[in-house]
Amino acid sequence: MSATLGWLIAGPFMYLAVAVFAIATLKKVLTIAAMPRHLRWDLYPIAHEGPEGSAFQKAEFWKRPRHYNLACELAEMAEEILLLKRTFLYNRKIWNFSYPMHAGFYLITGWIVLVALGAVAEVASGLKISTASTVFWAQALNAVTVVVGAGGLALGLFGCLGLLWMRYTDEDLRDFSSPVTFLNLYLLIALFGVGLAAWLAEDPSFVLARGYAASLLTLGPVALPPLMTLEALLFGIFLIYLPFSRMLHFAAKYFFYHNIMWDDEPLVSGGGLDKTIVGYLHYKAEWSAPHLKSGGSWLEQATTNPAKPKEEGK
Amino acid sequence: MKHKVRLKDIAKPAEVLCPLAATDLDPVPGYEEQPFKPAKPDWQEKYDFSLDGFSALGLTKPASKEEEDALVDKFLRGLEKLFTRENNWTFMQPTLLSTDYCVRCNTCNEACPVYVESGRQDIYRPNYRSELLRKLYQRYFTPEGRLLGGFVGADVELNWRTIYRLAELTYRCTICRRCAATCPVGVDNGLLNRELRKLFSQELGIAADGVHKSGTMRHLQTGSSTGMTPAAFLDTIEFIEDDIEERIGRRIKIPIDKKGADVLLIHNAGEFVSWPENPAAFAILLDAAGIDWTLSSESMGYEGVNYGTWYDDFQFARVAVAQVQAAKKLGVQRIVVGECGHATKALVEIADRVCVGDLAIPREGCLPLLEKIVTSGAIKFDPGKNNFPVTLHDPCNMVRLMGIVSPQRNVLKAITPPGCFREMPNAGIMNYCCGGGSGFAVMNTLNFPQWRDNVASRMKAKQVLEAFKDCLDPAIPKYYCAPCSNCKGAARDALMNHYGFRDKYNIIYGGLVELMVNAMVDIPKPFISWEDEF
Ligand code: SF4
Ligand code: SF4
Repeated sequence: MSATLGWLIAGPFMYLAVAVFAIATLKKVLTIAAMPRHLRWDLYPIAHEGPEGSAFQKAEFWKRPRHYNLACELAEMAEEILLLKRTFLYNRKIWNFSYPMHAGFYLITGWIVLVALGAVAEVASGLKISTASTVFWAQALNAVTVVVGAGGLALGLFGCLGLLWMRYTDEDLRDFSSPVTFLNLYLLIALFGVGLAAWLAEDPSFVLARGYAASLLTLGPVALPPLMTLEALLFGIFLIYLPFSRMLHFAAKYFFYHNIMWDDEPLVSGGGLDKTIVGYLHYKAEWSAPHLKSGGSWLEQATTNPAKPKEEGK
Repeated sequence: MKHKVRLKDIAKPAEVLCPLAATDLDPVPGYEEQPFKPAKPDWQEKYDFSLDGFSALGLTKPASKEEEDALVDKFLRGLEKLFTRENNWTFMQPTLLSTDYCVRCNTCNEACPVYVESGRQDIYRPNYRSELLRKLYQRYFTPEGRLLGGFVGADVELNWRTIYRLAELTYRCTICRRCAATCPVGVDNGLLNRELRKLFSQELGIAADGVHKSGTMRHLQTGSSTGMTPAAFLDTIEFIEDDIEERIGRRIKIPIDKKGADVLLIHNAGEFVSWPENPAAFAILLDAAGIDWTLSSESMGYEGVNYGTWYDDFQFARVAVAQVQAAKKLGVQRIVVGECGHATKALVEIADRVCVGDLAIPREGCLPLLEKIVTSGAIKFDPGKNNFPVTLHDPCNMVRLMGIVSPQRNVLKAITPPGCFREMPNAGIMNYCCGGGSGFAVMNTLNFPQWRDNVASRMKAKQVLEAFKDCLDPAIPKYYCAPCSNCKGAARDALMNHYGFRDKYNIIYGGLVELMVNAMVDIPKPFISWEDEF
């Protein structure tokens, strides 16, 4: 690989990848957030209702103040995100590999923060952070960065290999996997695997990584050794691909929980939600089954009776 | 036996994709499997049974290539509408998220009673139909699906068989959403199933007869899905008043159309027809507790069901709006829905974003009110009168989908002696459907009931046996308490008639209010009897 190509990957391509990731993820998230408020489709217990779990358990619930305990909601989400609670409870076989893979991602995210911190600390203090550091905080930061980074890569690789093995050997899982499912796993295996190799062969105490981070932050990107360049290429591809793949479920999950299962906001006559829904009632619906009036507004349709009521009984 | 059916097979010209047999099913202790009765030859000739040998929809086979093409065209038009704001603001966000972010981990599979009890047949996996929806949507409407086809999974062929089998498949799920409660991402296969039912109903005019023609359409036509007109309703109330007098020795005047009452009670009208002792028990309790209440004789005001909940947003909205309008006419303070799970969820929860403006009047389920009656001390109960084993069925709509779990338990604890009330396994939030959910309890055409009783209700049968395992001796009378009309329908058809629980084990079924009245100190004779035909 030529030095120029290496620099192009480590520098401009990495900036491009980060920008695409940030913009595309933001766009996806905003698109989901801008979708209309749906009819209620709660799933209980609702975390922010606290131990009671549901306002409906009490007679004349509307006379009571609405429970909204954000701490309970966040705690439940944290358990799900950090421990993969439901997978643990209902699918231990998958959890055995899915959890290491997710833990790998969390650790690598933490590692990126640690490397960036190290880079800033180096610039600010003029000290070099490495195993040879004589200052305590520098030594500690170095040790934590190594454990988190190498641990994250190893766990991620183990988890992805396990999931790949399961997808090949479990007939049921294989039926539900398309080539792109395998491609995703191969990409992640390459990402974690090359990362691990680069760490072992080229940068055991992440000195180069810290220097690279500092160069990116100060807008003067430097070229990297071959394995690290390959890792930068894979990471860039991963970042660009992520928002367009189902791996974005990490962001979608927030909406699943917060905006669907736990969206129990009651409608109050004249309130904001009431006005929003009234706005939707003017939408024209084009469904064309015989009992509907294609092109009529939702309001018209909801107040039309397709089966003439018999009056003679009254 | 497990029939291996891959997703792509759905379009195959096979006569029956997954020929389900009774021997495939997971055994029920003490129950001798009966072979399925084959569909009658004249049915087979006329209708499509090509999914699993059963038909819930009575779909007539297309007669020409033109008819087949028209079906495909319509399906695609409907599929597109599910993902557009104007046509599906009601559920677009959940539909899109559940379509896009499933990670194919199959965690949901084991949560589904239909899949598990069928002997784990592929076609009944919760994500089988969702995956078909995804693949078809991708293939026809996303750039990656159009460009990359099978590489991204868009590899299912769309022909009339795919459409008919998928339509039938949407009526092999009770929309109990137990699968959704286990999905690590939050994907809701129950919701996607309902969206597919919507597509079929709202675009192709395909829906199960029990929920549409003799469900919402009859409801909108006559005032009740039972076909009961206001005049017939008034006659029934008179009959119930007579019945109460006979049972408790005094006449109660059931308030009808009382303007400005505190509570408008709306029952599932199936109670008046099949279990009049339930509205009778409500009348006795509310009267004794001194509650200012009324029933409505207005068309739509005496029927709480809303079968639109299961298959069609417009029919849902029409029914809900008309029900609330009937309450508004009376100027009541609140609507209380009787013992019916889906009716409670439909009117109290889902309709919350349909009943806008001045239709937003307070609505609640009956269980918290019943708990309040017990805890207020307004009525004296003698738990000793309910001295027999009782187990409680949790209607999915009330527990998992509304979170109402403790009121019914608090009532039972107060009206039964210690040791009589026993939970069934998986009680509460993770309870299993009775098998009658999503309209199954009222779907009785062709050979569908055979499938329903054998497959959908099977897990419930096992739960009940497990709850009563220490007292199965028929000398001990037992009570299966199901505070929901549809669940009682399933109990009657499946547990009693199909699995023979009454004859074999002396188990009867009924609601919660009947047990409450049975324990009332002021009522001289037992209200519940093992001799009566329930
Ligand atoms: S619906 Fe959920 S549990 Fe089922 S396969 Fe998809 S992600 Fe897994
Ligand atoms: S909603 Fe219930 S019946 Fe339907 S797939 Fe999920 S668990 Fe099975």
